[in-house]
Amino acid sequence: MIKTLFKKDALAGLIEAVRKDGGEFVAPTLVARQASYKAVTDAAAIETDYIVPQNSFKEVLFPQSEAIATFKEAGTNMAGVEVNAKDTVVFGSRPCDAASVASLRSVFTWDFVDEFYTTREDKAVVISIACTKGDSSCFCTSVGLAPDATEGSDVLLRETEDGDFSAEAVTDKGKTFVKKHKDVFTTCKAAKEIAIFEPVKLDKVDLDKVGESLADTTHYDNDKMWGDIARKCIGCGACTYSCPTCHCFDIVDEGSFFEGERRKNWDACQFDFFTLHASGHNPRDTQYKRWRNRFMCKFKIYPGKFKTKGCVGCGRCVRVCPVRLDITEVMEELS
Amino acid sequence: MEAELREKAKELLGSGEIGVVIGFGWNKRKTRTTPVFITKAEDTDKLVFNAYCVNNLSVYLTRKYPDVKAMGKAAIVAKGCDIKNLAVMIAEGQFKRDDTYIIGMTCSGVGYKQELIEANGGELKPEIMPVKCHNCDVRNPHISDAVIGETTDFTPPEEPVGMVFDKIKQIEAMDAKGRFGFWEEHFSRCIKCYACRQVCSLCYCDRCITDKNTPQWIDSSAHARGNFSWNLVRAMHLTGRCTFCGECERACPVNIPLNVINKKMAVVMEDAFDHRSGYDPEVHPPMIVFDIENDKEEFIK
Repeated sequence: MIKTLFKKDALAGLIEAVRKDGGEFVAPTLVARQASYKAVTDAAAIETDYIVPQNSFKEVLFPQSEAIATFKEAGTNMAGVEVNAKDTVVFGSRPCDAASVASLRSVFTWDFVDEFYTTREDKAVVISIACTKGDSSCFCTSVGLAPDATEGSDVLLRETEDGDFSAEAVTDKGKTFVKKHKDVFTTCKAAKEIAIFEPVKLDKVDLDKVGESLADTTHYDNDKMWGDIARKCIGCGACTYSCPTCHCFDIVDEGSFFEGERRKNWDACQFDFFTLHASGHNPRDTQYKRWRNRFMCKFKIYPGKFKTKGCVGCGRCVRVCPVRLDITEVMEELS
Repeated sequence: MEAELREKAKELLGSGEIGVVIGFGWNKRKTRTTPVFITKAEDTDKLVFNAYCVNNLSVYLTRKYPDVKAMGKAAIVAKGCDIKNLAVMIAEGQFKRDDTYIIGMTCSGVGYKQELIEANGGELKPEIMPVKCHNCDVRNPHISDAVIGETTDFTPPEEPVGMVFDKIKQIEAMDAKGRFGFWEEHFSRCIKCYACRQVCSLCYCDRCITDKNTPQWIDSSAHARGNFSWNLVRAMHLTGRCTFCGECERACPVNIPLNVINKKMAVVMEDAFDHRSGYDPEVHPPMIVFDIENDKEEFIK
């Protein structure tokens, strides 16, 4: 079959071409024994044996910590910071992670356009590889996605039996990219594609029913129900920080009285001080209420505001949870 | 062993003496164990004990869990290594020995991470056990109200073995610049999720120093300065207290070798104060004791 083909040998050339134009090439690479999205300069550094990288690539678009303003002389002399965004290629993303880009955009362009986010996203090209393997924590098919979903990808690659990829340019951005790098994306005969890995669809999960269960807000007072579900939550931010769609941040001033910067840092609704008021009152005063909030955010609050997905089913929160509080079990329970 | 554990739990809950048994249960798919809070005698069948039981459940006895406290007197399923944490908590006045019923489990080791056991077809093998298990001297629980399981005659090697100790030697051989570089590389990955702190039963402060913001003692940003100050402050606050249960390293999503720094501090404390943490609830950690009479140092007198 004649297709647009991306030969695996072409990777080095693509990295070089992107970097020559001053761009950055981000791909899964081994960091402390785990595949993680990081900027790479060498094709040999790219890891190919991974299910989903340990981090999500949201840190490319929405860095964990960035300066947004500087101040001098006790806050009287403030200046904004220009967004430092490079043309970025995210290579080897998974379709779940790619779908989260639209989710982040919804939030960052909602009531205020956050240029720190939009500038970076506009300059990013997402090249995903459809999944040929997965694990028991993957659940994209239960949130309406698929291991070869095109949503959010600019280019979607499918692995072929001889190790190359057949390429599908999904968006205009992707088409322009493919055209620009036509010596890398060639049109020729492609070998058979490798079968896509299908995660077990949790047949008990029905997101509409989850939404309905949460819509009746009397559950807010049901301490027994949420206590039983999430009493074991220890209140770390591992789930939120590895989540591709979690987007909360905090603004802090760092430096001295005379000079410093204002930074935008990731924050997590799982932390006990997240909702602490200056008065000392904390509306989410126990850990299970904080866990409830994250669940509500993904399946009720977020879908109520936006058309994009609150959860993309990457399974990271299940994998990293130190106490194995499995979000899919709660989705089943509330279906 | 499980039958014996369930029987004990049933008896305790039935007697009315105990309000909640904190133990391990399977997740729905029976692929991982997860903490469970059993309050009814008929639910005790949910309790399990096997090599997947990696968590140190003592964290649920800290003051961070008022809702667990509200369930009444707790009985806790604890391996020897978990009991070490309980001993420190008692020594530091977090609760009285009589406030908690300790169900001590004899143990033949657990996995470093649950995923590794699953990958090995559900079987435990020495290669996937954490360093603490290979050097464990409390496989038979040292402090408990009841012991479940057969007594083991495992004796740990005289000189502790394992990657953590090899790494400590390696770092000790480096010059200051090399050591700084080593930790800089590892701490640079820190994402400040605080899983290390939250999973630790000895990090029980109501307000952690890193959450104090008037003034902001520790930069909350996850940049080099912020990450160094956080990780080093935590290591210092655990010095002489950490029992090397390894929960922080297990919980770390980015694999920072926290066991190395914590064990190094423990070795320093043993050399300097002849103190090993977690063996005696009557002995206070050296860094909270002011004892001029018995101090080895002359200059202090």
